[in-house]
Amino acid sequence: MYYKIGVDVGGTNTDAVLVSHDNLILAKTKQTTTLDVSNGIENAIGKVIADAKVPKQDIKYIMLGTTHCTNALVERKELNKIGAIRIGLPASSAIPTMTDFPKDLKTLLGKHIYMVHGGYEFDGRLISPLNEQEVRDYLLQMKGAVESLAITGIFSKTLPDQELQVATWAKEILGDAVRISCSHQIGGLGLLERENAAILNAALQDVASKMVKAFKDTVRRLGLSSQLFIGQNDGTLMSLEQSQDFPVLTISSGPTNSIRGAGALSGVANGIVIDVGGTTSDGGVLVNYFPRESTQAAQIGGVLTNFRMPDIVAVGIGGGTIVRFKDGKCHLGPDSVGYMLKEQGVAFGGHTLTLSDFFLANDALQIEGALGIRSLKETIERISGQAFSEALASVKYQIQLAIESVVDKLKTDAAEIPVIACGGGAFLLPKTIDGASEVLFPEHLEVANAFGACIAQIGHEEEMVVNTLQSDEKQAMDKLMLTVRKALLQNGALEDSIKVLAKESTPLAYLPGAVKLKVKLCGDLIT
Amino acid sequence: MRKIDKNDIEYIAMGSTVLGTGGGGDPYIGKLLAKEAINTYGTVSLVTAEELNDDALVVPIAAFGAPMILVEKLFSGNEFIRAFEMMESYLGRKIDAVMPAEAGGLNGVIPISIAAQKQIPLVDADGMGRAFPRLEMVTFTLHGIPVSPITQADEKGNRNVYHTIDNTWGETLVGATTIQMGGSCAIGCYPMSGAQVKKAAVHGIISYAQALGESILDAKGKNQNPLDSLVEAATAIKLFTGKISNVTIKTEGRWNKGICEIMGLDENQGSLMLLDFQNEFLMAKKDGQPVAITPDLIVLIDAENAQPITAETIQYGTRVVVLGMKADKQWRTSQGIELGGPKKFGYPEKYVPLEELNKRY
Repeated sequence: MYYKIGVDVGGTNTDAVLVSHDNLILAKTKQTTTLDVSNGIENAIGKVIADAKVPKQDIKYIMLGTTHCTNALVERKELNKIGAIRIGLPASSAIPTMTDFPKDLKTLLGKHIYMVHGGYEFDGRLISPLNEQEVRDYLLQMKGAVESLAITGIFSKTLPDQELQVATWAKEILGDAVRISCSHQIGGLGLLERENAAILNAALQDVASKMVKAFKDTVRRLGLSSQLFIGQNDGTLMSLEQSQDFPVLTISSGPTNSIRGAGALSGVANGIVIDVGGTTSDGGVLVNYFPRESTQAAQIGGVLTNFRMPDIVAVGIGGGTIVRFKDGKCHLGPDSVGYMLKEQGVAFGGHTLTLSDFFLANDALQIEGALGIRSLKETIERISGQAFSEALASVKYQIQLAIESVVDKLKTDAAEIPVIACGGGAFLLPKTIDGASEVLFPEHLEVANAFGACIAQIGHEEEMVVNTLQSDEKQAMDKLMLTVRKALLQNGALEDSIKVLAKESTPLAYLPGAVKLKVKLCGDLIT
Repeated sequence: MRKIDKNDIEYIAMGSTVLGTGGGGDPYIGKLLAKEAINTYGTVSLVTAEELNDDALVVPIAAFGAPMILVEKLFSGNEFIRAFEMMESYLGRKIDAVMPAEAGGLNGVIPISIAAQKQIPLVDADGMGRAFPRLEMVTFTLHGIPVSPITQADEKGNRNVYHTIDNTWGETLVGATTIQMGGSCAIGCYPMSGAQVKKAAVHGIISYAQALGESILDAKGKNQNPLDSLVEAATAIKLFTGKISNVTIKTEGRWNKGICEIMGLDENQGSLMLLDFQNEFLMAKKDGQPVAITPDLIVLIDAENAQPITAETIQYGTRVVVLGMKADKQWRTSQGIELGGPKKFGYPEKYVPLEELNKRY
């Protein structure tokens, strides 16, 4: 008999569940996310262990799912000052780095983007050699101005050495403190999408480092020796160590976990899941208890990547969403007070009006330490300049519009399907939604995320192009298989349980001999 | 004449994917290229074939190569301009307008960026009305217009001019050198007069692509089902509804030969559809019987969002709808069927028009 703990750190709340090895919920809790993140995690884990009364040494795994990185991107907060180098001139210059980025993110991140000569053809020939002086000149321009660097080379998935060479020069010039994201380790084939992923990864370095450190320290402080994992975009787990270098790969583990968790909790196999957190509402589609993966390329914070991700539509509606009144009209977010709800929300003596304040005032939500209903209503009336009922109605109307547009975007036809509410902010959701057959609020809905994290497996994937006129395809495939297998074992998968999720060799059209290889494996955690 | 701005490009690109019938390359890259060009150089004038002077010089400019390469080794932009300028200097006169050779897929949007950069009109016409895998498979060939001279340029600066004995040799030779160039290049081809465009091209195809794109992307705003809206805009026949149950791909010669198996759902419960594709979808068979055959268009649509699926991105388990669309009438002549029909792709079936195969519907 062993136990697992699933933890979900959101912008506002940190949730935890403690489950038996066969996934029965024995204890659950919802704690406020703290500024340093770790106190919230410590409180949550400590609470479920105390409640379930199980011996600490029997807690074998702790899985962490988080929307922390997503929030940082959506809100454009705490992002690192990045530099980006694309290796591939004279190719690729028609579509410069960050071409299709949202304007505000481009302004924020696009101060040091450079394209240099280099890159490979599909068959390993050079497009052009690296020009050391050119690279060094750009690196010197970045010195002191960037905190992390993204390096992306044409066909680096097949030949990563130019990316690695530039990384070496970058370390030398920029110093070891500047973290480097090489695209061949982050994305698949498709230069723009891989470059975008590397850039986002670089921008998230500090957010991720803080997260990982906090998680590790906390677990140590609690006297636990459990293995630590973090949820990836596709619903599989990776080791905590690894996630520090690849935060972008954890970016949508939150939604995946909540969709799988909500499905398992409600017993509904097909429907729409809306996970309402402190900052955003994330809608996804549940198909046979798994998230529907987008066939379209996934967008993160408005940026195109080639990750296989659940099809998520998010809006800035959450418990901490800031409510503003301007000329008698109400505007929701998109920013949120996040974990500062109890410091900044007017219900707790702060000066910022949030969605939670309205529901507290309306007695649809109870939080310890909040102002009394009457004085809260008065405060809201003073700030909004409207009668409370009028202000509440316009807030609810805005929520209804936003949520219905999410459901509408996710739906594929006119037929009405169930909507499953989950997450700590589920109280915000209307009881009827246009286009939904019913709106379900299952038991444990507030910890669906944390529960979803508990039921995940270990996974890893790689892809590359091989020219079969020059090298043996089977050998290349075996080698790739071994690489992925090694990575999986290193991450704690049980050898006997490893399953092949994908083993594809796709001949490339118009290129005799060129074949794209792709391997994806998954396995159970070692028990 | 009308102006094309950045907004129009979204719709044209979406419509080009529909006309790509599974091939032609993803227009995303072409879309970015066109938007960048319009940003820098301004909007583009789209003219109808009828508006051209009979003696105008019109040149199709195209991206040539492997779709996978085009998304990894992005264009420098210079290759198109080089191919264009080479054609001008070789012919010793200015090009008056550009047009797509192939409105389906990537090449439906590529010429927009050249028209913007050169500030010359784009002709609302192409040589296919869809996508096909070979350079000689255009309506121009049916009218005896030679592909040559062909100008070819890669991003590194390598350049070629070809004079081939016929249009098929154009494909053969440019194809061979493109691989050595790293799998992609830009070409100028089929230089022709305004009079020839009027006679030999598929007219109004860019506006048609835009209308198809609008039918999908604007449907929700008009409270319509995007799929129904597309079917109506394309006067398409809904051939099958189902779920992708298997995909097999192998390469023979220079293109992928694949079969996509679709298990019937709803009104097609219990039926099986097989889609033969070689880059483009070429034949749809329902329970062994052909229901659509090239050169008619076979379009695979994601039932989830009504967006077209390319042969390269077919995923097991996706719910899909298969649509059939009539090819341009030039393809339905005996010459057209010989050039773009089933025999050309090695299928034994005889071409029967889509509407006859589906009479009972």
